Amino acid sequence: MKRIFILTLTVMTFAGCSKLDEQLGSQLSTGGGAGGAVSPAQILSGTYDAMRLPWQDQSRVWAAQEHTTDEVIGPTRAGDWDDNGVWRVMHSHQWDPNHAFLADTYRDLGRIVFSASDLLRFSPTPQQAAEGRMLRAMANFFLVEGWDQVPYRENTADPLEVPKVRKGVEVIDYIISELNAIIPALPDGPVNRCNKNAARVLLMKCYLTKGVMANRAAPTFAAADMNQVIALANTIMAGSYTLTPNFFDNFAPTNNVISTENIWTAENIGGSSSGNVRSRWMLGLHYNQNPSGWNGFTTLSDFYNKFAAGDKRRGGEPYPGMTNVAGIRPGFLVGQQVDQNGVALKDRTGAPLSFTPQVKLTETGSNLEVTGIRVVKYPIDYTGGDNANNDYVYFRLADVMLMKAEAILRGGTDPQTPLQLVNLVRARSSATALGSVTLDVLLDERGRELYWEGYRRMDMIRFGKYLQPWQEKSASDPKVLIFPIPARSLAANPNLSQNPGY
Amino acid sequence: MLMKQMLALRAWMMLLVCMLMASVGAMAQKTVTGKVTDVKGGTWIPGASITLKGGLVGTSTDNEGNFTLNIPADGKTLVISAVGYGTREVTIDGTDFSQAITLATAQNDLNEVVVIGYGTARKKDITGSVASVKEKDFNKGVLPAPDQLIQGKVAGVQVVNNSGAPGAGTTFRIRGASSLRAGNGPLFVVDGVQLSNTEARPGIDLTGLGSTPGGNPLNFINTADISSMEVLKDASAAAIYGSRGANGVVLITTKRGLSGLPKVDVSASVGVANMLRSIDVLSGDQYRTALGEFGFPTGVNSPQTPSANFGGNENAMDAITRTGIVQNYNVGFSSGNENARYRLSLGYMDQEGILKKSDFKKFTAGINSSFKLLPNRKLGLDVNLLTSQTRENIAPISNNAGFLGSIIGQALQWNPTRSLKRADGTFDVEQGGSIINPLAYSDAYNDQTNITTILGTIAPSYKITKGLEAKSQVSVTYSVGKREQFTTGAINIENVQWDANGKGGEANVANNELSTFQITNTLSYNSDLGSKWSLNAVLGHEYLKNDFGGNSMYARGFPRIEGKPLHYFMAASDPSTRRTRGFQDPTSELQSFFGRAILNFDNRFVFTGTIRSDGSSKFGENNRYGTFPSLAGAWNIDKEGFMEGNNFISSLRLRASWGVTGNQDFPSGASQILYVLDGGNPANFAQSQIANPDLKWESTTTTNIGLDFGFFSNRLTGNIDWFNRSTSDILFPREAADPVPPTSSIRWSNIDGTIVNTGFEFTLNYKIIQGNKLNWDFGVNATFLNNELKDFVGEIPTGEVNGQGLSGAFAQLIKTGQPINSFYLKKFIGIDKQTGVSLYEGGESKFFVGSPNPEMLLGFTTMVSYGKLSFELAGNGAFGQYIYNNTTNAVLAFNNLGKRNIGLSEYEVAKSLGEKPVNPTSASTRYLEKGDFFRLANATLSYSLGNVGKAIRGATVFVNCQNLALFTNFTGFDPEVNVSKPLNGVPSFGMEYTPYPPARTINFGINFSL
Repeated sequence: MKRIFILTLTVMTFAGCSKLDEQLGSQLSTGGGAGGAVSPAQILSGTYDAMRLPWQDQSRVWAAQEHTTDEVIGPTRAGDWDDNGVWRVMHSHQWDPNHAFLADTYRDLGRIVFSASDLLRFSPTPQQAAEGRMLRAMANFFLVEGWDQVPYRENTADPLEVPKVRKGVEVIDYIISELNAIIPALPDGPVNRCNKNAARVLLMKCYLTKGVMANRAAPTFAAADMNQVIALANTIMAGSYTLTPNFFDNFAPTNNVISTENIWTAENIGGSSSGNVRSRWMLGLHYNQNPSGWNGFTTLSDFYNKFAAGDKRRGGEPYPGMTNVAGIRPGFLVGQQVDQNGVALKDRTGAPLSFTPQVKLTETGSNLEVTGIRVVKYPIDYTGGDNANNDYVYFRLADVMLMKAEAILRGGTDPQTPLQLVNLVRARSSATALGSVTLDVLLDERGRELYWEGYRRMDMIRFGKYLQPWQEKSASDPKVLIFPIPARSLAANPNLSQNPGY
Repeated sequence: MLMKQMLALRAWMMLLVCMLMASVGAMAQKTVTGKVTDVKGGTWIPGASITLKGGLVGTSTDNEGNFTLNIPADGKTLVISAVGYGTREVTIDGTDFSQAITLATAQNDLNEVVVIGYGTARKKDITGSVASVKEKDFNKGVLPAPDQLIQGKVAGVQVVNNSGAPGAGTTFRIRGASSLRAGNGPLFVVDGVQLSNTEARPGIDLTGLGSTPGGNPLNFINTADISSMEVLKDASAAAIYGSRGANGVVLITTKRGLSGLPKVDVSASVGVANMLRSIDVLSGDQYRTALGEFGFPTGVNSPQTPSANFGGNENAMDAITRTGIVQNYNVGFSSGNENARYRLSLGYMDQEGILKKSDFKKFTAGINSSFKLLPNRKLGLDVNLLTSQTRENIAPISNNAGFLGSIIGQALQWNPTRSLKRADGTFDVEQGGSIINPLAYSDAYNDQTNITTILGTIAPSYKITKGLEAKSQVSVTYSVGKREQFTTGAINIENVQWDANGKGGEANVANNELSTFQITNTLSYNSDLGSKWSLNAVLGHEYLKNDFGGNSMYARGFPRIEGKPLHYFMAASDPSTRRTRGFQDPTSELQSFFGRAILNFDNRFVFTGTIRSDGSSKFGENNRYGTFPSLAGAWNIDKEGFMEGNNFISSLRLRASWGVTGNQDFPSGASQILYVLDGGNPANFAQSQIANPDLKWESTTTTNIGLDFGFFSNRLTGNIDWFNRSTSDILFPREAADPVPPTSSIRWSNIDGTIVNTGFEFTLNYKIIQGNKLNWDFGVNATFLNNELKDFVGEIPTGEVNGQGLSGAFAQLIKTGQPINSFYLKKFIGIDKQTGVSLYEGGESKFFVGSPNPEMLLGFTTMVSYGKLSFELAGNGAFGQYIYNNTTNAVLAFNNLGKRNIGLSEYEVAKSLGEKPVNPTSASTRYLEKGDFFRLANATLSYSLGNVGKAIRGATVFVNCQNLALFTNFTGFDPEVNVSKPLNGVPSFGMEYTPYPPARTINFGINFSL
């Protein structure tokens, strides 16, 4: 008996011995365990999805490009929007390496770089590879514009690799070579996927920005680069795009159908699968409007005053599906707000809901709920819930035309004049034709056309205005031309160094 | 007819005769009566066991020490024993022992056997820091989980309730926190079965409200079945658990069947629970006054003249709370002889929460059995089975509610001039908006969780030779959790409220399944070696496997269905809102080899050496096995010759130990490259983690020096311990170098730095009065703790502050040179008289302003008995810690005036400082409070009825109060609360945010035996 028991025990001991190889469950490894479930199409789809948060949320690229300029301010309203001071320091150019949203933007843009690079390990088709590389190029462009230093991995599967870093013009050259390499493999459409003309727009932006990356405080622009911009613009404009008659249709819930102008968008499927595009209207609308908004960000009166009366881009016209539902008209919301029946709305204190042009970084008046002009550029989708149907717009024709005008002004040559191009864009919105165009006028025109679309910071730097004082901001330290490398990113990668001044 | 009855009667007679024949008592009998008393002082010993040597009969003494036993006429010897006393055999030469059988106290407790990992040891052989709490010393009352039984009872142990909800989880820390991201809780072991710290209860995120708090993974155990709990605090005690011993180990031992006649123990209690403390907010009248004082319109609200004055007086907190009825019933049935013993138990607990529609029910059934097989009885077999189901109704409370608040926040900030119900009796619910009617929400919200757990163990053992025993224990723990939640569209939460088409509501259904398999093989040797040496040794191998997975579905947009759970109608929901999920965590396996030897020389010197080698599938492939050694020694000074003749010191021993233990409480799969597959068409496939083949356990080196003492014949006993725990290879999901994968950016790593916990622990027990009738015992324990993070690079924010206007705010920063979870905030220095807005030292600058870790923990217990009456009181406190009051910051803040209700103290402070309602909400030291408290936690008054009639023995009636009184300056519900406020998954500590309020419970009950 004794022996039997000991034998049994010994057998059980050895039977219990395990090699301790970890068996994965619902997560997958790249090895055989993943089996045929993995296709490069799935990784590409994940890469497209990784674009949503950085561009469509209010706290990433959009905040970096808009809150830090004369177009947007995030006022603290008593119990609302203090948010640890993140919005105030953006507008007043006082950020530091621990700024949560700037750090998150840097990380989230890097995620696109990672995912697209990872895609290339899984034998994608030439078109899939080209789409991934286009998304990676887009992320690289916004990374270099903001932070100058762009880390990258040679092998996304190597756990020990310390990412290398490209800087400044080197990144721009890299993006240009990437885009030139992939354009043949990219499809012509649709607009909500990477396509040839989208890559060309990004190329235009690279050529326009190259001189800025070389010297942000005093950029110079090579004529050869400007002629590249013009040539690319002409290729795009030779396509089937036309300026959409109603400016706001480009951003409408059905913009994938009714816009004739958009060149590259992110697909949002109403009710089921969207980025946070609805933040574009939610963040400004008052609690007592429909939808009940977040009563947050506004534009500034100086910016609003850049528009002349009659310019339809300023808003004021009713919009079907929106004004008849909730009384809201797209564009700038100023003065008394009404509901769909024209009845005047009130704020939570019972005072008239009448948005004032004046706004401060910290509101301390009794009217703090209604200060600041609100902006609704994307017509509201009332059916999609928190998954709005509006495709998010990256690139559109008007931007291409204005960039072409800028390239000519900066030394490029073309039969068209900058004035012709600018007035074409203005005419679509019933803005009176200008008599002449200077760089300063062009920057203002870019503001009027592209306001709240997420390009203002790079425009203001390129036009040399970013360090100047404006409403609720004094003159800036030149260090702000580059954002600080986030503290946690710096700690994780010895190849990064902190940007000057931080 | 008559024949039939006669036949039936005869059959009954036959049966009765058979039974009498079978019964020993059917033979010639005699009745023995007697009384058992303490050899000193002559106090009665209740519950002493009296058995006939070699027979099957036995009984136990009543509360006055009396017993009556029927034995066969030829019975010769009685065996008398009692807990804490020695065993005595008495020859039966008469039948009357009324002169009293005296029992001597077991020699200064040190002969007591204590459960240690993988075996037992005599208390005098314990070289480590082990605290043992027996059933009689447990906290009394209705306590769903075992960890609450020893709250405040053990030096060095801090048990903090995460919420006041029935069945809520606790934060259990032994000697401070030693981990930043891996768990800080101890390993719980029930009768040798190691529990995973996961619970099968599915978590859910509520639309607009955030994540709901977890329950207590130990809820499945019936606390009435526990006979003792041992807390292994230092490395000498815990090293046998190797890579999981760093946070200490809690061993739970359940009651066993005893030899003797069948015995039924019954306990029953019924009680009422009410809110312990409320937070003062403005009343309707105060609110109207305040509106006027700060320039808001004060006329009664109408469409023409909107105003925050709705004209009424409402107390929303009263509306959502109630008096809860608490019931608890337990029956234990035990019997046995030399060859087989068993204990069956049944339990039912029903705890109504003090918030409406919240409760906790528990059903338990268990059997512990032990057999001795083979003619030589060398083969032992233990078979244990524990089954339980808990059923909870959960209130809508989340840890991280934003501007909508959770139900507590909604009630606190409900405008007190506004009625919750309209004149027609319907709830006053807005269309849209952000003001939620808490009573309507309570009505609309339904959330039920059932968790069913089975723990089965089979353990054969074989005595190979004297002292040498082989044992194999195989156990399976299986737990399934089901959660069904729905909110009707009757509440104005975005996407939930009924829309114009009558569609609305949301529903969650989730199922999780948790299983653990454990096999433990040990060879133990316990014997005298001659020439004053004795050895207690164990060698073992163990294999553990954990699996956890589940699935869930979610949908919104239901048609308006009244009176039925929406999740019955998942198929009728809006298809575009449906979400289904599944997950299966990587299997986690642990394989270990371990050994321990306790060597005793002459009862004067004891040495313990322990070693465990743990291999875990979670560790990276370059570090699959870790080794954890420990060495310890004890010197029983009282056994030395020079102590002889000493009347003052009755026991004295010095202990010292050193050892290394580990912590591997991180997710399985953490060392591997991982990809996840989620929504989208085609499904998105994205890398979620960067591999770390070097990933390993956290390593804690502990040094402990202790002194155990007893004076005046052990009337005064106690111990002092000094410890130093130093943790390195800190586990942390470090932000990987950019660029990082799309769905996650972490890489689990062992990062540089050391977490040092040092401290002293004191325990004193004093029998102040030891009399025939009057007895008074007093016990106190105190712990002094110091925590510091050293040589750490980087800064890790945590302690997310939530609420309107507080996005991105956090309250704690982990940084070298500071205690873990130190508060890091703007310093509030007053109000600017001009603007009425807060002023902060250095503007936006932040400072380290305090630690949430207590500097001192205190616990006391006292028991006074006089004759049949006894009174027991227990209390505990913590001192020196700070608490961040996120509730005041977000919910009660003064700038809510005119929109929502505000705190009374916030209003008074605002008036005195000249604050204006436009003052921004900002996280700062204004909301950091001292958390010092002392609580009278538990009081019980009991009266012994003794034997009632012929059947009922040892009846005791009692009244018990849990949470009798709380002394603190903290302004929230309870300073002993820890709402989980992690940031990026890094745990916080010492944060309060609209938790479920704690209750004061008064129970009335009776215990008796049959």
